[in-house]
Amino acid sequence: MKTKTVKTKTKKFKHLGKWQDTLANCIRCGYCFEHCPMFHHTGWESDAPRAKIVTAFGLLTGEVEPSYSAIDKMFSCFYCLRCEAACSSGVALTKVFTDARKDLVEMDLQEGPGTTSTTTLQCARCLVCIEECPHEARFYDGKNIATDPSKCQSCGICVEVCPAGAATIEKSFGTSRNDLTKRASIFLQNHESAKAIVFACNWSYYPGLQASVLPDSETSGNDYEILVNMCGGRLEAQLLMAPFLNNAWGVMAACCPDDECEHKGYLNAKKQIEKLRKTFKNIDIDPERIQLVQIPAGNKTLFQAEIDTFIEKLNKMGPIR
Amino acid sequence: MKKNDKSNLPMRTIDKSVLEGIVGKDNIKTDPSDLYIYGTDSSVHHAMPWAVVKPRTTAHVQGIMKYANKNLIPVIARGGGSGMCGQTVPIHGGIILDMKSMNKILEINLEDVYCRVEPGVVDDDLNLALEQYGVFYPPTPASSRIATIGGEIANNASGVRSVKYGATRDAVLGMKVVLPNGDLVSLGAHTRVEASGYQLHKLMVGSEGTLGIVVEATLSFVPIPEFRCMGVANFDVLEDAGKAIGSIMASGATPSMLELVDDVAIKAVNKTMDLGLKEVAAALIFEADGMVKEAVDYEINKMKKICEKHNGKDIHASYDPAERAKIFMGRKKLFPALSKYDDDLASTALADDMAVPYSKMAEMAAKIHEIADKNNIVMTAYGHCGSGCMHTKILMDTKRKDQWASAKKAISQVYEYVRSVNGTTSAEHGIGISKAESFKVEKADSLNLLITIKKALDPNNILNPGKLMQAPENWVTATNLRYAVNN
Ligand SMILES: Cc1cc2nc3c(=O)[nH]c(=O)nc-3n(C[C@H](O)[C@H](O)[C@H](O)COP(=O)(O)OP(=O)(O)OC[C@H]3O[C@@H](n4cnc5c(N)ncnc54)[C@H](O)[C@@H]3O)c2cc1C
Repeated sequence: MKTKTVKTKTKKFKHLGKWQDTLANCIRCGYCFEHCPMFHHTGWESDAPRAKIVTAFGLLTGEVEPSYSAIDKMFSCFYCLRCEAACSSGVALTKVFTDARKDLVEMDLQEGPGTTSTTTLQCARCLVCIEECPHEARFYDGKNIATDPSKCQSCGICVEVCPAGAATIEKSFGTSRNDLTKRASIFLQNHESAKAIVFACNWSYYPGLQASVLPDSETSGNDYEILVNMCGGRLEAQLLMAPFLNNAWGVMAACCPDDECEHKGYLNAKKQIEKLRKTFKNIDIDPERIQLVQIPAGNKTLFQAEIDTFIEKLNKMGPIR
Repeated sequence: MKKNDKSNLPMRTIDKSVLEGIVGKDNIKTDPSDLYIYGTDSSVHHAMPWAVVKPRTTAHVQGIMKYANKNLIPVIARGGGSGMCGQTVPIHGGIILDMKSMNKILEINLEDVYCRVEPGVVDDDLNLALEQYGVFYPPTPASSRIATIGGEIANNASGVRSVKYGATRDAVLGMKVVLPNGDLVSLGAHTRVEASGYQLHKLMVGSEGTLGIVVEATLSFVPIPEFRCMGVANFDVLEDAGKAIGSIMASGATPSMLELVDDVAIKAVNKTMDLGLKEVAAALIFEADGMVKEAVDYEINKMKKICEKHNGKDIHASYDPAERAKIFMGRKKLFPALSKYDDDLASTALADDMAVPYSKMAEMAAKIHEIADKNNIVMTAYGHCGSGCMHTKILMDTKRKDQWASAKKAISQVYEYVRSVNGTTSAEHGIGISKAESFKVEKADSLNLLITIKKALDPNNILNPGKLMQAPENWVTATNLRYAVNN
């Protein structure tokens, strides 16, 4: 039997080390990856939660070199916790990831930013992002604004609050404003029946197929498309208005209930939607065309029911003239 | 064959630029950190592939196969990677063909009662798509949220409802397959019955990716029953529960589910989940379904009476979905519970799905406990017993080398018993690497036939080599174990 012992080098993994039994207890069933928004976006297993557990194990045993690509995997996660909800072995996956991150930071090995937010040279050092970061991940290092990658949960709120557009998330896995706007317009332009775009936050479980695609004959008549953005905290006027420029009849946004939101994103979501509804009223467009719903994690049935009611309402209103 | 003996497989490296020419740059991974991830599945094994390729079309698969065949490079198809015996672990290296992006449901044909899908379609997704038409695809394994149709076909997967509706093999009407030389063939038909020739589509079922790459499957489906009733019975003696299973199946009853959970399983669930299950020696969960309530009542009553006859206690049944969910919760939560049974013990996928004739069910369950005790490890007995399938899990301290030796001994003893009563090594999870030792003994008579078939279809032995009859004798040393084992 070829045996593996923890090598001297990897003794440095003092935070990750305590998870060694957990890493063995994970039965590697893969239940975690089908709901992972990162896997969903790239289709590569190596972007999925199980891959990170396997990588963490490899780092610990020395079988995986702490290469750029291995480290980048450990620093890429939106902390939506859908993997933990699906885990068949009760593994606290994100806690394992965070401890691996802590070790890598302490070893000065956080080479790739992964999904960690960063700050460009445009930064005016207004410190707003530090105040607004719900995870206390941003700080002023005496010269620049920096992010502690073992604290950042990639919710993207700093990106939205930065007045200089200096906060960015390099690897957005399809959740940047540009990506979302593009996907909304592709859907609206290619479906004659298209009426609405539904923006769902990463934390809500959206209904529908997770990893497969229906035949064109079944989807050509779709009247809405669900697009996953990071967090209600990231909803902003430009994103919400984009579908209307492509003749959408309405836009719906979903975020977590007040007491479930880990990033206080619901506050911004409410504010943004309310503001737009007022604008709509002023220009004589029915404000009901834009709507916010709060969905508890995992409640797909409620989500579907809300979508159905919204579409019904839009059908009564017809297109915007 | 020793671990590093690759004499029948000249080791070649891959030419990445050729692969890129076939599938495009974005559909290949060769970084060691990615390869490490694709070297594992839900088994105890690990081995490194040379590249991971994600085909998106049949033409991509054909291109890769032609290249691999010419250059004698192993190719291992991979779906969800949820196989439990190392079927997707590239024991001799090679190319992992990640089929998950061929994920289209192509057709749902209600008139002719079949659907056509690409192999990467996930079982739960297919059932969600079918549900709106009032039909379902029944072989569904417990891993249906992750298992792909391609993986289910290659493993001949089955599940809780297979006792009534059959396994994957029963639901597959036809398929398109890319052969090792890159040729595309259509096997089977879109009809319910077919008598022509060797039924090659059925041969592909259970072949574990060693004969061809499935690129499309035609599957049958059945109506979702109007009524489902689920019952439970507790037993003070495990053998009594075993006898009840045998009697139910011999009585002509048609359960749509018949599951056993033993005391280790019940204790594990209670310890971690606070479901307050009664700590008895065993419990049977049974279900009947149908379009007419009286017919379902008839089946349920029949099963209740048989349980009673075999000293079953606390017997009750319900049509109420909430109540059914409550009854089934213990079974459903078994996996997480077993993993948390004891912090030092991991639940390993070993000797986990044998089948024995119904009359031996009771003896089998007792045997598992006897063997576990003898070898100083923890084993549990549960499973889709209505179809003769008995699951076990070995709970052990994977860090301890001596536990692996004990597990190996226990497993050999379990399989020896299974074969002695004309049972079979694997009922649903397949053979891969971990179960090859017993498989080869069980199929000694037909081993040459299997080898002949493999040679005829894959003369260069490039499709998932080193599995089934080609797997090394000793599963413990066949590959690196995916656990950290101390000396
Ligand atoms: C928690 C858990 C519960 C499980 N419960 C059950 C159960 O109840 N019943 C059951 O039967 N199994 C069960 N399994 C085992 C496993 O999930 C199933 O057998 C499943 O069908 C494997 O599907 P997959 O897509 O993950 O295949 P993989 O593991 O990726 O592959 C399995 C085999 O299929 C081959 N393969 C994959 N795609 C193709 C293709 N397109 N063409 C040719 N060959 C291909 C592979 O080469 C490999 O040999 C369980 C596993 C886990 C982890």
